[in-house]
Amino acid sequence: MKKTLTTIVCVAAALLLFSQSVSAIPAFARKYGFNCNMCHVAFPKLNDFGQRFRDNGYQIPGQAGLEKTVFETAVPIALRTTTGYSLYKNGKGTMAGFHIYGLDLLAAGVLHKNISFLFVYTPRIDEPAADFHGPGSGDNPAQLAAIESANLVFSNLIKDKLNLRIGRFEPSFQLLSSKRLTYILQPFEIYNFIGGLNGFDYSANQLGIEASGRFKGGLKYGLGYVNGNGANPDNNSYKDFYGVLSKTIGPGEGQSSGQRIGVFGYFGWQPTDFSDSSVSPVGDANGEKNRNFYRLGGSLSLNWKTFNLQAMAFRGVDDKDFNDIDPTQDYEFWGGIAQLDWAGLADNRLVASLMYNWVRPPAGAEPQQLNAFSALVRYYLGSWSAVNIALHAEYSHRTIGVVNQTKDNLFTLLLDFDF
Amino acid sequence: MNNRTWWRILPVCLALAGLGALRLSAEDKAPPITQVNCQQLGPQRLGPLPPVVIPPSNPQSSAKIHLGKMLYFDPRLSSDRTISCATCHDPAMGWSDAGPTSKGIRGQMGGRRAPPVSNAAFSPLQFWDGRSPSLEDQAKGPIQNPVEMGNTHEAMIRTVADIPGYVKLFKDVFGVGPITVQQVADAIAAFERTVVTTDSRFDRYMRGDHQTLTKLEKQGLEIFNGKGHCTACHWGPYFSDGRFHNLGVPPKDPKNPDQGRYAVTKNPEDMGAFKTPTVRDAALRPPYLHDGSEKTLESLIEFYDRGGGKDPNLDPLMVPLGLSRTEKAALVAFIRALTSLNPEVAAVKPIPAGKLPK
Repeated sequence: MKKTLTTIVCVAAALLLFSQSVSAIPAFARKYGFNCNMCHVAFPKLNDFGQRFRDNGYQIPGQAGLEKTVFETAVPIALRTTTGYSLYKNGKGTMAGFHIYGLDLLAAGVLHKNISFLFVYTPRIDEPAADFHGPGSGDNPAQLAAIESANLVFSNLIKDKLNLRIGRFEPSFQLLSSKRLTYILQPFEIYNFIGGLNGFDYSANQLGIEASGRFKGGLKYGLGYVNGNGANPDNNSYKDFYGVLSKTIGPGEGQSSGQRIGVFGYFGWQPTDFSDSSVSPVGDANGEKNRNFYRLGGSLSLNWKTFNLQAMAFRGVDDKDFNDIDPTQDYEFWGGIAQLDWAGLADNRLVASLMYNWVRPPAGAEPQQLNAFSALVRYYLGSWSAVNIALHAEYSHRTIGVVNQTKDNLFTLLLDFDF
Repeated sequence: MNNRTWWRILPVCLALAGLGALRLSAEDKAPPITQVNCQQLGPQRLGPLPPVVIPPSNPQSSAKIHLGKMLYFDPRLSSDRTISCATCHDPAMGWSDAGPTSKGIRGQMGGRRAPPVSNAAFSPLQFWDGRSPSLEDQAKGPIQNPVEMGNTHEAMIRTVADIPGYVKLFKDVFGVGPITVQQVADAIAAFERTVVTTDSRFDRYMRGDHQTLTKLEKQGLEIFNGKGHCTACHWGPYFSDGRFHNLGVPPKDPKNPDQGRYAVTKNPEDMGAFKTPTVRDAALRPPYLHDGSEKTLESLIEFYDRGGGKDPNLDPLMVPLGLSRTEKAALVAFIRALTSLNPEVAAVKPIPAGKLPK
């Protein structure tokens, strides 16, 4: 019995770890009558047009003020859910079952010329495997309830060169978007890596303010000032900041054409002591003994015909007070992703991808060293306006640790429904 | 001031800067397309054309349409009596001409392609640069353009007023009084509002005849409205946003490039931008683009697939498309399916000189 429970916990934890909320917003397609591929290479991955549309505050590039607002269109609500069958195998056993992996409720639109919003809510999805704690205990849900995004975008404060996002948003230093990742269960591992005592989550949407813009010649920037804990409210009085700079060579945005390189840096503080902290009426804590950390990295996106090679890597350095292995040394790690995508058949109905993730923790933390090899095939059942269904097959093989290496395999066959 | 205080003040500074920038934005110039009412804002769904809206200032009548048709095909409106509206807007050439640009009096070549008259009633602005707000206003332009009909309005009116057949027709339509340029323009515009193509195979498909498009054409429709990004500009029943875009078409004379919409608005963002033409009946009127530089639909799609040309003012909508050979063929097939089957429009023939008013 104990072994069974352990197995259930493992698979539930694995699915929770693997699953991620992702975004595609058919409300826009409904507004315009476009097919998904207007903005997506194949949803959810944005193409160049979609990237410019997003950057322009969900307004068609160059058309700010010349299109309908949310008050003149149908209610701009969209839904995305993924459901299917998973087969997970590790050294302890094999587990299989049907699942709802995620559900996103999205609303987005233009409120006024150059003022738009995005709201994404992910409701809690119960995980039956959690029932080992007793019916309805609520532990280990497949998805936690959260307001993933709630932000206002003020676009073109200086035409193309200055846009502001305020609220909770996907920060622009994620040049490879984890929210629009084609993989459903295999995340960007380095984004999710939390080593030592620093709870900073690189993949999290952040609360704060971000300025971004573009210049002729393909140069783009982003500057952010955020809570840094990816949560509401903040756990310390120090704010984090980041900067990102990218350059696209050739036409396009580097999403589906052109070649893009980028560098980014994130500098933040996290508290190491809450023993004497107090909490404000709105929930902010003044965590004590704030220590700093940073992330520095680069990325590239290369396109050839309908092939797209994306890669990114960053180095993380956390103050030695975060180091639970050797407190005399900063906690240093690095990792990255390389992903090769291909789109084929008419209107990109078929998508195939290979991805490699690696995480290299500091000496002494080798049990957290990770390599993940993944592949997927997606077939889109239609090229309809504002609704689509993808048949999605995904496989990941991970090796974790060095000496006592563990391996796991996850195969998933699911339907990705976006409406 | 210590570091912590600075970090607390920074957001306030950013917010103030944002508000200041917002204020600047609010003082921006109005968008150049003032004639488009708010109901027409933003992409419309593809579909059959609605009925033409007739301006109250120029109501239709059979007699006026007949008069307009006579004037449209009458070369006597030009200074040397060789060029009519139909010379460059020929029904047999999809209401445009063989191009690449149009030939006016004394063999002079214009710098731009003749925009099609068919369905022009749906365009909010006329001419490639949108300098004219109505068909009536547009109709006056070519008559006195030195490269096109090379006449003056006064001389043209004298010519028309000297033709008894026209005098009678004008009297029947506009009543007693001197013939005016406005009457000539009203009559031509009334005729042009009848040149509407509502019955392509695409229209039949949209009305429910799902067998009328081939598999390749249906695929082309999907690409037109998706991966091809065509509907980002060629939207709605008219297959045009009526707006102005710089596609990066290389100027024929780099030292003296065609300024396009900029010549009207003097807005630097409009430099080299031209009005989106309708795609309806496009297969009937090669070559393409404002200067006729793309000879075939196939080469036109290759141009778009490359993301257009190079221009410092290239429209942000222009991005490489990554279309496959099949997808390009599908697009061409779909555009051909937009060719009208309207017999009343297809049957319009040039009026021979002997049948024009005498």
